Amino acid sequence: MIRAALTALALVAGMPAASQSPFPVDIGGPYTLLDQHGQVRTQADPEGKHQLLFFGYANCLNICSAALPLMAQVVDELAADGIDVTPVMITVAPDQDQVDTMGAPLAEIHPDFIGLTGKEDTLQAAYDAFNVEVEALFEDPEYGWIYSHGSFVHLLDGEGELLTLLPPILDVTQATKIAKGYITPQG
Amino acid sequence: MRSLILSALAAMGLPLAGQAAEGTRIQVTGEIIDTWCYYSGVMGSPDAVVGSAHHTCALWCSAGGIPVGLLAEDGTVYMVLKVGEDDQTAGGDTTLKLAAHTVEADGMLYERDGLNYLVVSDVVSDLDITNQNHDDYGNVPPFSIPDPNK
Repeated sequence: MIRAALTALALVAGMPAASQSPFPVDIGGPYTLLDQHGQVRTQADPEGKHQLLFFGYANCLNICSAALPLMAQVVDELAADGIDVTPVMITVAPDQDQVDTMGAPLAEIHPDFIGLTGKEDTLQAAYDAFNVEVEALFEDPEYGWIYSHGSFVHLLDGEGELLTLLPPILDVTQATKIAKGYITPQG
Repeated sequence: MRSLILSALAAMGLPLAGQAAEGTRIQVTGEIIDTWCYYSGVMGSPDAVVGSAHHTCALWCSAGGIPVGLLAEDGTVYMVLKVGEDDQTAGGDTTLKLAAHTVEADGMLYERDGLNYLVVSDVVSDLDITNQNHDDYGNVPPFSIPDPNK
């Protein structure tokens, strides 16, 4: 209710609900999860790199199968220009994506991919921070539970602050061009 | 076709990085579309992935969390960031109910990164599915309606 009231106020005023958010909806915030190596990772990149963050699951055959490769290609395009960006996926399916299982499928998409999982409450905190709705739709007899989830790719700075959104419908060239507009080349 | 559409989007201007959100209130009429199928071209031409022909697939995509768009009468596509009281971005029951429907929307337009983001504050009217194109294209794609015999 408070969020709805703030959003309504923002609409009336034509200003963002959170002054730090580049969008009129408050997106982003802290989280503390575990990566595929069992290391604690927060919204801040340990090396201060920019990040592409997506909520999905490693074996998702739906929008993730487009969004995760898109992220990988954008990371490679930016790397070619000397810009290091870390691709990060926060799981919406902790039953499937566990510390010892999510690394391999993500590595097939990009060797630098960081997968994050955790307990229900710590994951929910991340979903809430990024306004991501997660819903189990049905159980596929071959692939397990199929989930509905938000599908924007989030461009974050090294501290984990949202810079902008990348809709997964963009092509690599367009997504890379947008990301570059927010990142100063290193070195 | 996809590259043409994306080029048109890009031509709208590039981002002012770090720009704060400043919106413009607009009223716009158009169809709530499935942006993935519309832009990717994987399910057919833009004319085939709208309206009644694509309604079932649009429901699947919306339920799957794919951002919905509003295809205005002048061809402009608005990425719908939020609708009314749904507290999630690009999701919620409202967008599901409106898939393939033509609506009159009142909201705030935010131009960012060459994209038009629309926060719909009010669906002034829901005109239902007005683009009855299933006789022209059939069900697009055909497999979006599961075969009960399988």
